[in-house]
Amino acid sequence: MTTLIPIGRDYESLVQEDRVHSAVFTDEEIFQDELERIFHRTWVFALHESEIPNAGDFKRLQLGRYPVIATRDEEGGLHLLINRCRHRGAQVCESNHGNTRRFQCWYHGWTYDCRGDLVGLTGPEGYDENFDPTQHGLTPVPRVESYRGFVFASFAKEGMSLSDYLGPTKPYIDIMVDASPTGELEVKPNVLNRTRYRGNWKQVGMDGYHPHYVHMSVFKIFSKRESTTGSAVGALQLEDPFSDASTSRTRGFPNGHAALDFREQRQPHADNAIAELRQSEDGARYVDDMIKAYGEERARDLIAWHGDPHLGIFPNLQLIHGHVRVVVPIGPGETEVQMYPVFLKGVEPSINEKRLRSHEAFYGPAAAGSPDDAEIFERTQRGLIADIDPWVPLARGMHREQVDEDGSVVAYISDEITQRAQMKEWKKLMTAKK
Amino acid sequence: MTQQLIQAAPEVIRQGLVDTGTQQRLERFLALEAALMDNHEYDRWMALWHGDDVLYWVPCNSDDQDPSTGIAIIYDDRSRLLERMMRLKDKTAHAYRPLAKLVRSMSGIVPVAVEGNEIEVVATFVLGETRVGVQNIWMGRTIHRLVDTDDGLRIRSKKVLLLNNDDAMPNLTFLV
Repeated sequence: MTTLIPIGRDYESLVQEDRVHSAVFTDEEIFQDELERIFHRTWVFALHESEIPNAGDFKRLQLGRYPVIATRDEEGGLHLLINRCRHRGAQVCESNHGNTRRFQCWYHGWTYDCRGDLVGLTGPEGYDENFDPTQHGLTPVPRVESYRGFVFASFAKEGMSLSDYLGPTKPYIDIMVDASPTGELEVKPNVLNRTRYRGNWKQVGMDGYHPHYVHMSVFKIFSKRESTTGSAVGALQLEDPFSDASTSRTRGFPNGHAALDFREQRQPHADNAIAELRQSEDGARYVDDMIKAYGEERARDLIAWHGDPHLGIFPNLQLIHGHVRVVVPIGPGETEVQMYPVFLKGVEPSINEKRLRSHEAFYGPAAAGSPDDAEIFERTQRGLIADIDPWVPLARGMHREQVDEDGSVVAYISDEITQRAQMKEWKKLMTAKK
Repeated sequence: MTQQLIQAAPEVIRQGLVDTGTQQRLERFLALEAALMDNHEYDRWMALWHGDDVLYWVPCNSDDQDPSTGIAIIYDDRSRLLERMMRLKDKTAHAYRPLAKLVRSMSGIVPVAVEGNEIEVVATFVLGETRVGVQNIWMGRTIHRLVDTDDGLRIRSKKVLLLNNDDAMPNLTFLV
């Protein structure tokens, strides 16, 4: 379900403040430009530090068009290396994750260590003194920086620091990390849902307008439950967080980031959440440890949040409910979504187990939520190729936006601030001079 | 599950743990279950389950990822399974409408353990799905724990090992 538009690819005109042309979701060449100008230039999320904790640990990733290996060396250093032998170009790592001392290319036997250095050149006598093995290590990703364990990569040799890129979203990332009383998360490289849908990668995002319709069946079924507080699916609480009458808000940040901000909506439920946790010994210990770590007020705040900042970091990371979501663009009409439930460190196993069951209930290919999302993205892709009337309006709530203290733009939960923030950044990157 | 057959005691294969009549009943039961799933006969399928402590488990990431430290595609006790039934039948769950057209073939049906009136049966399946112009082929193995009751065979637990459970997959909007 893709197109090649005949009208040219003038990104200034294809993306306007209140609308976008459907070609940005369907066009083959625009997709290739997105990989070059967005995924190969700005900060993209790679992995969480905890996925490769020990020397020799590695994980295979896809960043834009580049296959990448994340490795941990003997000194604890983390490396992101292009998974391409410097000889004829074969991938040197095919396992999704594991532990190794060496990456060997099976074409002609060139071998690299965890830093990417070429430590095994076969038949070295075949090369003269002009061949320098130190110039033939696996190519490192030019820039790697992290915030609270979240490791990002940039293929641009120079540019904004990650800290500046994340800007005012950092306190939202903290909400997920500080749901742990020790302020540490664990992400496991082999505990995830992987789903694929025949739709565009930009569809997966923060959208406070869709739940009543896309997830109608979930609202019906969850409303029959006695209680949903204390569940990681914290957005679906006793009162409707997706009503414009609620105190929930959408928020657009600089650099394309966006959030569904449930702070005001959830705070009144803090006491209920704490009371429910206190019903079990492990839950009571969690509450006590949170108070010890962060003080009464902040602990209440964090418990009400349920570790769910509902934050999207442009272009490929989302922190939603209890999971880290990675969006992997495959083509204009094909996307893979990876969802890693996070484990809180410093809590009893039953706390994490409950979070896992909550995650499973809503996310994954046979769960209550994800299939309806994937289905609507596919229907959207099938519709968008009909570009006789090509404009997609994203104007909802433009007249009621306000600018907040941290510089973010805020409006009602169903307003399309989040889409506008994403597409504004998209346009900035797609039209930037190299 | 392959291991359960490969490592099974010789008598599991040689003479079998059940008599021929029971073997035929097992095969007919799994064929009926498959037909009910293919035809989205959710109430009749649900009626095949026995007792309150049922488990319907479709592992994710590997065939044996521990649900206490990992996740599953489906990990339903009776209450979660009943919610799943509500969703499968709900016309507002649009991922399930239109319904997928399904046909599956069960084979390699072998009882590997008998304890009292409970029988553990392994089998393999190939499942074809067509929906909105796309055909998917699903494959896997099943391990049923069946109870032989006065009303006939019933399911106490069922584990489904999808061949692609460690890979990216499209929506699974039907019963396996």
